[in-house]
Amino acid sequence: MNEEQQLKLQAFLDGELPETEAREISAWLAQDEEANGLVKELRNTRQALKNSQSPVRVPESREFYWSKIQREIDRLEPAAEPVRKTSWLQTFRRVLIPAGAVAAVAIIGIIAGRQFLPAQLASAAESEMTVADSGAFTYHDYAHGTTLVWVSYPADH
Amino acid sequence: MRFNPSLFSRFAPLALVSLLFALTVSAARAAADFKFEVQLVWATTATNSPNPEHKPVEEEVHKKLSELPLKWKHYFEVKSENIRVSKNETREARLSKICRISVRDIDGKNFEFALIGKNEPVLKRTQKLPKGEMLVLGGNAPDATAWLVVLKRIE
Repeated sequence: MNEEQQLKLQAFLDGELPETEAREISAWLAQDEEANGLVKELRNTRQALKNSQSPVRVPESREFYWSKIQREIDRLEPAAEPVRKTSWLQTFRRVLIPAGAVAAVAIIGIIAGRQFLPAQLASAAESEMTVADSGAFTYHDYAHGTTLVWVSYPADH
Repeated sequence: MRFNPSLFSRFAPLALVSLLFALTVSAARAAADFKFEVQLVWATTATNSPNPEHKPVEEEVHKKLSELPLKWKHYFEVKSENIRVSKNETREARLSKICRISVRDIDGKNFEFALIGKNEPVLKRTQKLPKGEMLVLGGNAPDATAWLVVLKRIE
């Protein structure tokens, strides 16, 4: 007897089979000694379990007993985060934090750029010269912030 | 040290206000005029100028010119003019009958200086000229002297 047949017998015993199938099982049991033996054993087991279970009575009423269980479940479950009302000031502050951070970084950048970038480097980097006189030359006195451009322009002016 | 968001949030408005202030100041500076002093200077080894109207250049200019690799020891102011330039504007000053200098604001930091002689451009130079710095344009003149155009940013 395979597992499927055993399950069929269990279902038959529990009255879960349709009528036609139950009739087939009955016919099978009349012919098969092994199947008949299993059904008897299952029936005895069920009867034994039924007899050994004594009803349990609780001192409280049914509603009160279940309400205690419900309260215990509620206690063990994590409390849901209460919905907090945020004021406009809190919202404004939430915006101000990142905005303030950006502002602070920008201020530091501006100050650092002005303080640490050499003025002569900044001025020299962006200067250009167009001279009609090819013999002209330029001299930078970075220490005193002076630029000299010498040209061979006639001085009869 | 632990990051304290509430403490930071107290300083955030201050930083924001500071940035707005810095931006306002920058904008005000950008809109302001730029003032330059332009001097035509005669450089010589002689202690006195033959022209009694010439006067020695001021001490600060003399000191800066002395630091340059020039052989002359004495510098006399022939003419001095002030030029006020607004944003993106070009202004000109006449230094002699045929010599003029023009200053053009490019972007509030860079300026174009153009020397014009006999109605022809002699030199055109673009550079920054912060307050306290000086641009000197020069050339040789008769009798081993020299002419200089000294540009100073005043404002």
